[in-house]
Amino acid sequence: MSYTELTVWTRGIIMDKEGRDIVNSVAAAARKEGKQSQAMENYVDNPDRTNAPTRKYCRVSDGVIENALTYENENPNIVVLVEGTMVKGWDYMRGMPPGGTLIINTHYTPDYILRFVPGPERLAQLVCVDAAKLADHKWLYYRLGELGLDRLSTEGAAERSKLVAPDIAAPLIAAVVKTTGIVKRETIEPMIANKKAFEMAMNELHIMPLNAAVQVGA
Amino acid sequence: MSTKGTHIPDRLKITFAGITPAPTQEKGQDLFPTGNWRSIRPVYRDKLPPCNNACGTNEKIQGYLDLVKRGKYLDAYALIKEDMPFPSVTGRVCYHPCEQACNRGKYDEAISIRAVERFLGDLGQALTNDVVKAGKPNGKKVAIVGSGPAGHSAAYQLARLGYKVTILEKSPKPGGLNRGGIPVWVLPPEILDREIERLVQMGVEIKCNVEVGKDIRWDELKKNYDACVLAVGLIDSNSVRAEGEDKQGVIYGLPFLRDIGMGTSKVKLGPRVAVIGGGNTAIDCAREALRQGAVEVTMITVESQKEEMPCVAEDLHDMLEEGVELLHSRAMTAVLGNGRVEALQLHPARFSGAINASPIEIDRDSPADKFSVDNVIIAVGQHASVKWLPDEFKNERGTIKADRFGRLGDTNFFAAGDVVQIGTGQQLMVVNAVGDGKRVAFNLDKVLRGEELEPRTIPVDVIFDLNRMNMTYFPHFPRVQQTLLPPNSRKKTSQEVILGYSEEQAVEEAARCFSCGTCNACDNCYLVCPEPCIARPERSNGMYKILIDYCKGCRVCIEECPTGCLEGVPELDFDTGVVRMDTAFAISPGLHGRQAEQLRQLAEQPAKNI
Repeated sequence: MSYTELTVWTRGIIMDKEGRDIVNSVAAAARKEGKQSQAMENYVDNPDRTNAPTRKYCRVSDGVIENALTYENENPNIVVLVEGTMVKGWDYMRGMPPGGTLIINTHYTPDYILRFVPGPERLAQLVCVDAAKLADHKWLYYRLGELGLDRLSTEGAAERSKLVAPDIAAPLIAAVVKTTGIVKRETIEPMIANKKAFEMAMNELHIMPLNAAVQVGA
Repeated sequence: MSTKGTHIPDRLKITFAGITPAPTQEKGQDLFPTGNWRSIRPVYRDKLPPCNNACGTNEKIQGYLDLVKRGKYLDAYALIKEDMPFPSVTGRVCYHPCEQACNRGKYDEAISIRAVERFLGDLGQALTNDVVKAGKPNGKKVAIVGSGPAGHSAAYQLARLGYKVTILEKSPKPGGLNRGGIPVWVLPPEILDREIERLVQMGVEIKCNVEVGKDIRWDELKKNYDACVLAVGLIDSNSVRAEGEDKQGVIYGLPFLRDIGMGTSKVKLGPRVAVIGGGNTAIDCAREALRQGAVEVTMITVESQKEEMPCVAEDLHDMLEEGVELLHSRAMTAVLGNGRVEALQLHPARFSGAINASPIEIDRDSPADKFSVDNVIIAVGQHASVKWLPDEFKNERGTIKADRFGRLGDTNFFAAGDVVQIGTGQQLMVVNAVGDGKRVAFNLDKVLRGEELEPRTIPVDVIFDLNRMNMTYFPHFPRVQQTLLPPNSRKKTSQEVILGYSEEQAVEEAARCFSCGTCNACDNCYLVCPEPCIARPERSNGMYKILIDYCKGCRVCIEECPTGCLEGVPELDFDTGVVRMDTAFAISPGLHGRQAEQLRQLAEQPAKNI
């Protein structure tokens, strides 16, 4: 029986919706495929503070999810960092079983980023995707006033934008789907608003296979 | 904040957890390493202000303006003396390329940098002992040919490096172009004498009435000195190739000014004087002619309007105020008269700027005008006179062939100043000659010490764009004007025309400086940081430090930096600053321990320190 945990690390307010879109769309696609799935946010992380790190969780299983009432993902198989700098700050690899996947939104290559990853020997692949560029995004941090608009939905009220993944989440979802096969592309693609970025990301991922590349203890 | 559900390892569960100590000035807040919230790291990176970049000798202008603003005049004078041997002279005569480059010029009015420099120079003149002393003698002897700006500058820098310097000057008095090319009502001779006295106090020997090729030969220079700097300037005047230029009453610009400056002038001007040329020397000649007794002075230029004339606009304005007339689009083609100039023949002409032919196009087919004058002063540039120079070191322009370091082949001979800079596109002005003298002095020092010569480094980042600064911090404020003598009285006397700043004026003007791209310790970042992330032991440039463990990268300091010296650099460009937290808010190992230690110490401290 297959059971997969996906944890998304994102930043409070300014990229909160991006993280939420990833877990929600993957969980919804899995249900369409007849699997059991759930998606939730970690409110303890204080997501209503700009830039604060915050986590979103998704679980997909062929059968009943036994730990459905546990709050955190204890052993994430897939970790997504919506903002590249997070690679330096947290132990996002904690609990990852061998053969995991780490997906990072960054314009750097995996060769460069690998130095910041704690415990890379557990990874089967390190994936870098320049989501901000693919989604043609005016990079978030330079225009906080304009771009931190989604405060209401961050506070737990209604989603301000009804679109799913209109922005940098689309290439990241493409990276998750292509490199892990957690759900099928056909199922998830119709939900995605930014189809162009999704399509482009399918061809422009920097994937570094790691089983052979990194020696344990090296 | 609730911590319910957050994974906290057992090792972190200690008694005092949860009590947050107050942030301190040295460490900022010391509990949560919120530095990993940051994607952009603020970095202090001083850029080159455009004034420093434009200055021929790269004076640290922003630096001394900042010191003047704070009332540290002596520090400011010492800073200026690093690059400029005679600020009291350039504070009067410089054509201030710095002010043309000043970013404030795009905003309201450029800073009056020259006036502040003059204020500092005059302060230096009043000191009993100069702040600069000769370096420890290194036993090597250097000869400098020419005591003009380039020679003076090279001698000054070499004396600071410990060389035994001898200046050879062919005129009876030292000073070169500073004395012989600048009228006394711009630069009073006692100011220059004082600066030369300072040079002599540094141990520089000045031998006047010594001409190379006549009193001392090339091989003697080679034999008697370890190295030699040729800063001979451009001493021969250009002719306009008009008929009858040899008639009595025709005077050339630079010899006219030089003889007056040296006190050897025998010229008696008639009431009507024409000046040929539209440059700065021509302007000086026209104004000097008024002071020498001329009543009507007319300046004849090939340029079609005054805006096109190759001169400093302020000087042109002052000249017109004194009553000099301008006659545009004319070239002198002949000097008429029976043995003595009586009139000039003028043809319509225009400045074409041609490089391979004559840059002046004269329309000789049009009818000529006759212009009656008693004297004509021709001031259309100068050229070098280097007959004594071995042919191998002459170039096709008839000047000295020097490489980009100012060196003549593989010899220990160097050349500096106008004689090298003419024809290179570099504007010929005192400050450029001073800068050349300085660079050649340092190159000479390297050669004698057997070091490799390196090309002059090009500044990488000069701020020209006002958007890189935060202009909301700079209210519009007019320039503090220097007082001028009234035109009618000044044109009859040799008194200095432009008066210097008072202390209050200098401080007021220096305070207008934007400090483009360079930290001037305004303390703004320190005050606006929402967290105590910026620490400084004292308020001074280079003392500010960002506590990267705690800076969240909110960019407030970067946006609010008035000068634009703070930059946001992507955090991933740095290998440092990796702080692993277990979860979003769980504290990393060690921090709780440190907090506990601090809390333990609290009990031992007297109450007033807590």
